[in-house]
Amino acid sequence: MAVSTTHRRPGALTRRGSRRPVRPGLWHFLTFAAPGTLVYTCLVLLPIAMSVGYSLTNQALLRPNTRFVGLRNYALLFKDDTFLSSLRVTTILSLIVVIVPNVLGVAIAVVLDRRGWLYNALRSVFFTPMVISSVVISVIWTRVLADDGPVNQGLRALGVSEPPGWLSDPDIALYSLSSIVCWQMLGFCVVVYLAGLQGVPQELAEAAAIDGAGPLRRFWKVTWPLLAPALTINTVVLLISAFKIFDHVKVITNGGPGTGTTASVAFVVLQEGFVENRTGYASAEAVVMLVIIALLSVVTLRILQRREVQL
Amino acid sequence: MTGSRLPWVRPLVALVIGAVFFIPLYIALINVFKASGQVARDTMSLPAPPTLDNLVRVLTDPDSLFWSSLRTSVVVTSLSIVILTVLSAMLGHYLARHGQWWSRAVMVLLLCGLMIPPQVILIPVTQVLKSLGLMSTLQGLVLFNVGYYVPFGVFVFSGFMKGIPRELEEAAAIDGATRWQTFWRVVFPLLRPATASVLIFLGVWIWNDFLNPLIIYGPREGTTIMTGVYKSLGQYAADFGGMFALMFLATLPILVFYLLLQKQFVKGLTGGATKG
Repeated sequence: MAVSTTHRRPGALTRRGSRRPVRPGLWHFLTFAAPGTLVYTCLVLLPIAMSVGYSLTNQALLRPNTRFVGLRNYALLFKDDTFLSSLRVTTILSLIVVIVPNVLGVAIAVVLDRRGWLYNALRSVFFTPMVISSVVISVIWTRVLADDGPVNQGLRALGVSEPPGWLSDPDIALYSLSSIVCWQMLGFCVVVYLAGLQGVPQELAEAAAIDGAGPLRRFWKVTWPLLAPALTINTVVLLISAFKIFDHVKVITNGGPGTGTTASVAFVVLQEGFVENRTGYASAEAVVMLVIIALLSVVTLRILQRREVQL
Repeated sequence: MTGSRLPWVRPLVALVIGAVFFIPLYIALINVFKASGQVARDTMSLPAPPTLDNLVRVLTDPDSLFWSSLRTSVVVTSLSIVILTVLSAMLGHYLARHGQWWSRAVMVLLLCGLMIPPQVILIPVTQVLKSLGLMSTLQGLVLFNVGYYVPFGVFVFSGFMKGIPRELEEAAAIDGATRWQTFWRVVFPLLRPATASVLIFLGVWIWNDFLNPLIIYGPREGTTIMTGVYKSLGQYAADFGGMFALMFLATLPILVFYLLLQKQFVKGLTGGATKG
């Protein structure tokens, strides 16, 4: 890969003309590499280490003397209903948010994979929610799905006497919330799949057509395997975004209705850390969250990239 | 082939899907121009008659919540994306061009940063910023943005560097340019598509960010535009028209920014996607 750019003809360009050494000097490192690395280290790497440290203590705002408690926080976590329920909520949320936009994204990308102003305009339509803040998206949908909102007004007009409380019914709220996130993420998937479709050679589809393959068969045997890199990107991005979901929960349901029906892990960590001020315990939750997301990303990447290599 | 036998099927299907998808945005848009009473009564219908009252009310609000949080967001977003572009372009260039073991180690550490949720680090970050005296300040928020998003910038720039021939830099060096001059005069101008996608992605993310400003800047010192929207939810509880107007005004600047850079951005996105 990229051989053409990194390879050098032996002896063609010797360093005689330049007085500068080839290997990077200290000054070069300090100006080019050090500033970014330093800020990243102080504000991301160091805090991760600090989180692990805090998670082994009983640190809390109103407790004067913090002490080391070993793995006690972690032991407590697995008996904590709030935390266990947040894991369940996040699992459901992630499954929906990874599967639905991927499936709809491929379908819509296939439909939009044409030239022309109509298709260009529609691409922009699908991408617009990605450019709008989750806070704004959440408020819009709160209104749309309100008990007296347009969706239920429509249902009533169609003769449904008691339309569902999309965001107020504890059995439905999580699915409504997931759908909103799917709607917002869909545009990203569409754009990435469209880019993937541009890389599918037309001759392959034509050859398959000459061999007598129908449109569905052509899609499964020719197009879909070639979209493997797009699937990898979308799945990993969706998985990671699903784990980070906080804004929607905070604005739309604030964890409710009922107790914790929509409280994701991301929401619970912040609640525990900044509202309840149990820093040590919240850090243990954060560390568990980080471990899960790291494992899931690595495993997903491995599996999906193996599919890509086959081609 | 459905397309060849029935040529109108595809555009029709596309149009219907697009229309259904667009409904929530349509609702948000039309309600900006409706009297508040009409918003609650019939959310879906077109404004009758259209009014600019909602926008005027938000813009002339005596608290000037909109204007002050707009200013904060403009300052935070523009400072963050300029610093991020400069630092991550230089770091990305350095890491892409120097393949020692530790450059690769730094690269791996940065890539890990792409998946770290802010929730995991925010508690200690507040401590770090407190010890630097930057908690609840704009500078603190900018500094955090730079640290948190630098992996993304480096990822885009170093990927893009693969397409830029090394010989150009060597030629500049032979002509006597320093590394600094070579980078800024020769390499950086060639990175323009990557710069555009970094600017647009980070611009959108930082402008739309809610959690980080909420925790780091905090409501006490003032709000960014999105924490401002959140804060005013209560105030506008009964005034849907005002709420939609505020959200419209909060979204407009970033939407314009996005549309201005969009062409470059799709190039950058697809370039990155296919390069993998």
